[in-house]
Amino acid sequence: MNSETLNTLDSYSKNKYKYGFVTEIDDEKSKKGLNEDTIKFISLKKNEPNWMLDWRLKAYSKWKKMKEPKWANLSFPEIDYQDIYYYSAPKGFEKKPKDLSEVDPKLIETYNKLGIPLEEQKVLAGVAVDVVFDSVSVATTYKGELEKLGIIFCSIGEAIQKHPDLIKKYLGSVIPPGDHSFSALNSAVFTDGSFVYIPEGVKCPMELSTYFRINAENTGQFERTLIIADKGSYVSYLEGCTAPKRDDNQLHAANVELIALEDAEIKYSTVQNWYPGDEDGKGGIYNFVTKRGLCAGKNSKISWTQVETGSAITWKYPSCILKGDNSIGEFYSVAITNNFQQADTGTKMTHIGKNTKSKIISKGISLGKSQNTYRGEVSFLRKADKARNYTQCDSLLVGNQCGAHTIPYIDSKNNTAVIEHEASTSKINEDQLYYCRQRGLNHEEAVSLIVNGFCKQVLQELPMEFAVEAQKLVSISLEGSVG
Amino acid sequence: MNIQDNYLKNKKNIFFSENKDIETHREKLINIFENDRFDKKNNESLKNINLKNFIDFKYKYLISEETSVINNNHENNYSIVSVNGQCSSFKDDKIEITKILDEDYNDFSKNNTIENNDHFVNLNSLFLNSGFKIIIKKNNNIKIKISNIVTDDDLTIFQKNNYICEEGSSLNLIEEYENKNNSTSNILNVIKLEKNSHLNHFLIQDNSANHNLIITTHSSCKKDTTYTQKVYNFSEGHVRNFHYSELLEANSEADLQGIFFLKDNNTSNNKTFVKHLAEDCKSNQVYKGILNDRSKATYFSNTHVDQVAQKTEGYQLSKGILLSDNASYFSKPELKIYADDVKCSHGSTIGPIDENAIFYLRSRGMSKIAATKILISSFINEELSSIDNEQMSELIQKKLVRYLSKVK
Repeated sequence: MNSETLNTLDSYSKNKYKYGFVTEIDDEKSKKGLNEDTIKFISLKKNEPNWMLDWRLKAYSKWKKMKEPKWANLSFPEIDYQDIYYYSAPKGFEKKPKDLSEVDPKLIETYNKLGIPLEEQKVLAGVAVDVVFDSVSVATTYKGELEKLGIIFCSIGEAIQKHPDLIKKYLGSVIPPGDHSFSALNSAVFTDGSFVYIPEGVKCPMELSTYFRINAENTGQFERTLIIADKGSYVSYLEGCTAPKRDDNQLHAANVELIALEDAEIKYSTVQNWYPGDEDGKGGIYNFVTKRGLCAGKNSKISWTQVETGSAITWKYPSCILKGDNSIGEFYSVAITNNFQQADTGTKMTHIGKNTKSKIISKGISLGKSQNTYRGEVSFLRKADKARNYTQCDSLLVGNQCGAHTIPYIDSKNNTAVIEHEASTSKINEDQLYYCRQRGLNHEEAVSLIVNGFCKQVLQELPMEFAVEAQKLVSISLEGSVG
Repeated sequence: MNIQDNYLKNKKNIFFSENKDIETHREKLINIFENDRFDKKNNESLKNINLKNFIDFKYKYLISEETSVINNNHENNYSIVSVNGQCSSFKDDKIEITKILDEDYNDFSKNNTIENNDHFVNLNSLFLNSGFKIIIKKNNNIKIKISNIVTDDDLTIFQKNNYICEEGSSLNLIEEYENKNNSTSNILNVIKLEKNSHLNHFLIQDNSANHNLIITTHSSCKKDTTYTQKVYNFSEGHVRNFHYSELLEANSEADLQGIFFLKDNNTSNNKTFVKHLAEDCKSNQVYKGILNDRSKATYFSNTHVDQVAQKTEGYQLSKGILLSDNASYFSKPELKIYADDVKCSHGSTIGPIDENAIFYLRSRGMSKIAATKILISSFINEELSSIDNEQMSELIQKKLVRYLSKVK
């Protein structure tokens, strides 16, 4: 490795987190720690019906008996669940504002700093944004227009009040609270998140989007998102996150459930840029996310696209259960880790129905002293006749102190199903670098170009609104950097 | 009977039980078993194994009266008949064969790091009752054929063999396992390749349905060495092939290949693990499997590249054909890479025989079964045609024909 490379690497690692700032808003917190009282407090605050409280308490009793999953290739100090606030809401938000002008101006400013002005976005991008600031939904835009089509897009809290039938039927149906300890934890203490219901035959005309943002110190965020696409409908959902700079590790354990009924399609895109910790590995978000989609009906389709650049610890496996015949699952992922970041991410495709298809494209880029692991499971059950899977996972190593790991699990119980898996690991091709430099690009531009090219297969799957941001994010992640 | 009671009861028959050091080590191993029971749920390497045969077994061992033979019919050709894991001593200017000694036990069982969590290796260390050590002396080129014979029913053989290839030597080793009784063999081969030595290792496994074979190899390669291993598994009983290789010094190479042919209720667990600990090393892991009827197989491959192991090339390939809808195949090809200037890849496919290819052959007038058989043979042709030993090649062809005759 040449000295230029080392210099650029060095300057990269000093690159500060761009979105590191804190908004000072008075918090209303529950007491620290997790017990039945905390859960009752949350439930009371959110004005929930009794059946919801029972559901939470049941999940809590399961959580008490469970241990954290240990198989991931991650190392971090034990999480002290009693040292975390489980509820925090910006003051005065118990009665929701009717429109944006009623929202705390400071909050709006925060989003402006992030480059996502609500007012502007309403007009320009045609995106309806359901903003989660810490734990309470602040504003929901474009609601009226969606309502006309019969689409329900609101916070999960609101959905519990207004659409209890749907919630009772679907909440926890894809990720049972007792699935593993993080799902049980989330089920017990989730405070907010989004709820989407697309009625039969409706194609949602715009990308639905939520920006999550952790703000208050020591507050774990436990969102719960539930998306239901009824027969023949289509929805594309965007989720993006940036978090302010903090020194304490913050726990984030979200659960996302998708349900696609017959002929329905759900496209779920994420750009994740939580605070990754500083160059010594101090601080950063612990991100333990469970995302799972169920292709319940025939010909349904679920597609996950993710760009993961943040978090100190990423533990995330967006999965598809392909139950309906002819259903399709897709997973596109770019994961970039730097400094002391650790990512263990991948997917799980479970083929149950006939003629089910899945496709996995995963690109991992490791820099600095980070560890980047792809972990994916593809399984064909006995009745998955003619099922098909294609998996490709490539890793790029930059610097000689990082690690790139690939751990696929492949299980076939059907003799008409075909599975193909390929993976490769290498460093940036010297010839390509040389070619770009020869054409007058400087080293950094050349690397950025090559890395963007490496990720292109995934980035092009993102919706327009995200593609630009994601490309920028990849470049920012490499800014002043790389060799 | 649990493992501890079993051990205490049969202590007097087990090798080195009078050695205090080894005894304390074994007590540690028993503790491991007590704490970390054979937990199938969290240890996928135990998939498909009927644990009863291995935890709850009845210890029985016989020292065979038939002396094992060493026959030097040609200059560099040796054939060894190892009976119940024993082999008589032999010495000439090219090779030396002895019993294993206390220090060999220490050398492996205490210092190994890779297999710490491997219960079957630990069981082997605990109940060790047979084994031998072969040293190939400097700059010799030797061929050895070993027939592993088990004489009686219900024997539990815990065998440990040491192979040491001294500097500049080269060894062609063929091992045959063809047993028809109800015994269980748990064999650990420890192979050491000194500078500039080469080992070509063939394992042919063809046991009957009630014979269980657990075979583990640990090879460590020094500078400029090559270790090539080819496993052909035609067994009808359970076979576990776990092969670990450590590339300790620069320019060494490990090539681990295997083919398994399963039918009926056969199970086979396979694992290859290559640890790159020096620069400029190469490794290759290729396993192919054909599964018929209700057979089940697993294959774990793993390439570990240390931070210092720049310029590594490590490749893995796993291919499986499922002939019946009750067969199942699980594969987990892992890459763990800590160095940046490497070329590593893995590929894995599982599926039926290509229908288009069958259609092509049938349109040329071939029956479906004949077409299937031709395509199976071509699937593994690359591996079979690369065997340079004519006798071996014939033997394997014969076994392949036998397997294909059962395919319907």
